[in-house]
Amino acid sequence: MQAGIIDFLQSLADGVLFGTTYAIIGIGFTLIFGVMHKLNLSFAAASIGGAYLSLALLAVWRAPSLVLLATSAAGGAALGVLVFLSCFRFIRADNALAPLMATVGMLLLIDEAIAHLTAGVPLRYPALFPDVMLDVGPMMVRSDLLFVFAIGCVATSLLMWLLYRTRVGIATRAVAQRPVAAALCGIGIGRVNATTFALAGALGGVAGALTGTAVGVLSPLLTLPITVKGLIVTVIGGLGSIPGAILAGLLVGGFENIIQHFRGVSERDLHVMLLLFAFLVFRPGGLFAPPAGRD
Amino acid sequence: MDYYIGLAQIIGIHTLLGLSAYAVLLTGQVSLAQAGFFAIGAYVGGMLTVLAGWHVLSGMIVAGLVAGVVATLVGFPALRVKGLMLVVATTAFGEAVRLFFFNFNYRIRRGDVLIGPSGGEGFRQIRFFQENGWSTIEMALFIWAIVILVLATLWWLDRSRAGTVWRAVGEDELAAQSAGVSITAVKVSAMGLGGVIAGLGGALYAHNTTHIEHAQFGVVLATFAIAYPILGGLTSVLGTLAAVVFIQGFLVEGLRFLGDWRNLLFGALIVLAMNLRPNGLLDASAVAALRRGLSFRRKGAAHARA
Amino acid sequence: MLELKGLSKHFGGVKAVDGVDLRVRKGEIVGLIGPNGSGKSTTVNLVCGVYPATAGRIMFEGADITRLAPHKRVRGGLARTFQNIRLFQRLTVWENLWVARNTAGQGEPRRLFGNWVGGQRAARASVEELLEFAGLHSKRDMVTGALAFGEQRRLEFARALAAEPRLLLLDEPAAGMNLEEIGDLRHRIVDLRRRGLAVLLIEHVMELVMGVSDRIAVLNFGRKIAEGSPAEIQAHPDVQAAYLGDAEV
Repeated sequence: MQAGIIDFLQSLADGVLFGTTYAIIGIGFTLIFGVMHKLNLSFAAASIGGAYLSLALLAVWRAPSLVLLATSAAGGAALGVLVFLSCFRFIRADNALAPLMATVGMLLLIDEAIAHLTAGVPLRYPALFPDVMLDVGPMMVRSDLLFVFAIGCVATSLLMWLLYRTRVGIATRAVAQRPVAAALCGIGIGRVNATTFALAGALGGVAGALTGTAVGVLSPLLTLPITVKGLIVTVIGGLGSIPGAILAGLLVGGFENIIQHFRGVSERDLHVMLLLFAFLVFRPGGLFAPPAGRD
Repeated sequence: MDYYIGLAQIIGIHTLLGLSAYAVLLTGQVSLAQAGFFAIGAYVGGMLTVLAGWHVLSGMIVAGLVAGVVATLVGFPALRVKGLMLVVATTAFGEAVRLFFFNFNYRIRRGDVLIGPSGGEGFRQIRFFQENGWSTIEMALFIWAIVILVLATLWWLDRSRAGTVWRAVGEDELAAQSAGVSITAVKVSAMGLGGVIAGLGGALYAHNTTHIEHAQFGVVLATFAIAYPILGGLTSVLGTLAAVVFIQGFLVEGLRFLGDWRNLLFGALIVLAMNLRPNGLLDASAVAALRRGLSFRRKGAAHARA
Repeated sequence: MLELKGLSKHFGGVKAVDGVDLRVRKGEIVGLIGPNGSGKSTTVNLVCGVYPATAGRIMFEGADITRLAPHKRVRGGLARTFQNIRLFQRLTVWENLWVARNTAGQGEPRRLFGNWVGGQRAARASVEELLEFAGLHSKRDMVTGALAFGEQRRLEFARALAAEPRLLLLDEPAAGMNLEEIGDLRHRIVDLRRRGLAVLLIEHVMELVMGVSDRIAVLNFGRKIAEGSPAEIQAHPDVQAAYLGDAEV
């Protein structure tokens, strides 16, 4: 019995820590949705793409961990802007289906580009952090997961600071709330949108690197599952809510790891879907639903 | 020759998949659950012919109905969410169906072998066509008979008042409601019809490939399902057919000689197509131009006769 | 025929509509006016069922429709237009009317798939009449997104009539119209009364409301502050205060 509880807590802790990556991907979806009211399905692929770009750097220089993370972030940002230009910039704003489909095209393109360049072989991703086990009472905490968590927190705090304390961030939020009014105030919507994609992309790049280091390998096969999980996190957290996405990411991470521990890996995702349906039925607005206003 | 017949079969089956998403898209709903309904049709149809010994036609019809019922049931809760929420909810439903079949075991002993769906290994030996000595050309004709039937039904629906009402809902739900349209009835019946069509396609798919497994019915297939009508344009069912021919015939098969590069080009071409023709290949202006062209030729012929 | 009893709608802490009583009798044109944000549009949305009411009741022809689904209210004889025009942009003029005409008077979705030839013929004929009424006969096959603003307003008006209402809710129908168009609109509204329809008219253009209404109710901060004939309302001190107060802001 005692051992059962420890197992439970152990899987919960590991899962919640790994959930950081889901949370960050969820933030990316939510951020872009918040500003453009559009869905960018290629976001997770671009995030993994950013991590691959940092691997390319590693091929020529044994860079320290922080440089790797920064490269991944920069790669993610660059891919984010590319996605914006190719899928949103030149398609009329009132068309909802075309950009959605275009991002699917980008998702396939990024995946295939990776598969092509790596000959379809998964690549080892280096441990960004010293790999030691910390004893916490009867439990062991993987220190690398702890670092993943910490880096995730830092990256998210940085984003929040950018959004709420800087000119760029305030312009972004203005566009998110009232695009036309913001344009009349002299804010260039196109530039703000591009900035949002770059910001979200950078965050995604960090998530990609963290995923790589937590899983140990990078593979284009990771993108679809992460896309689906990220979307689920976005909805459970409440569309457009960053705190919601964080909490939902940790929740989904912990939940799926517990299920995996007790019911096996083949049933894991099925229960995650059921969790989502439960939210859709009982709390369709998610954890932090924006208040329902008039019109 | 067999190669082209096989291609015709694939195009037919994917057309059904695309049309199932077309019906739902008309009402303004982006559903990524179509691969799930397709999977239900495939498994139900396969089980009916393999385990219960039914004829493929009756098996397929029941498979379509089962998928339609499931889709109708999904349609009601799906009414509560819109836009991105619906995309996520239907994605999750499709994934849930796939994962269900990943964990689904139902095998019975026939002689000294076990047959039936077997979890991750999938469901093998769905060999109704082979056991009954159908030739590939007969299979292709059978598939296309179904495709043409569905195409004709949707064509008629599009031009009937129901089609106009469906499009009205897709345009503006609040306005449609204020014109006395029941959003619930429209959306749920569109979901149900889409489910039936996907189920028919799934059953045909199972019998055509003889081996199905959960991995075939993932998010990628779901995005293909909506890609066909979106790329084709929602002006006409023929757009969906054209998009399937374009993707399966040209991009997938026609560019095979490019090897690895084909897949790269695939994504890039979708991005390009959406930038150049955001309303689809066969959008309203293209259809109007086609019509003009046809009527001009007809007039020309009339002149020639006179 | 329409009666609102203590109708209220609260958004969080905001009392957008607060205990409004209002009556519209058969063949009567009732104006509903008030400063911006006084709850006029919310009232329309409550009557149409876009928002559920927080409290109070809505009676239509003796039946309680407070909880009735929006489309059933339309089929029951209660149609509306929108403040910001909401047509089916990518459908043709004819199709816009056809959608609304076909649901008129129908209670059941069973007819959604039906192709009753006789019914269709009658429906087609009445769509022709409505095209004539809206003066859009020559543009019947145009996509409505391509129509001029005034034409779109006329089409939306005709679409509301296509549902064969006995009560029509007009939400700021004169917004954005020039004087000539307002004059035309005025004739149309008066014509509705001749045909026996009741109208609830929400409007900012005072010349129009004062000119056509049999009775006017005034809302301010979600409450009804006055009701009476146009002359009474114009002389009412509270109404003047409400509008002057509004003007100062």
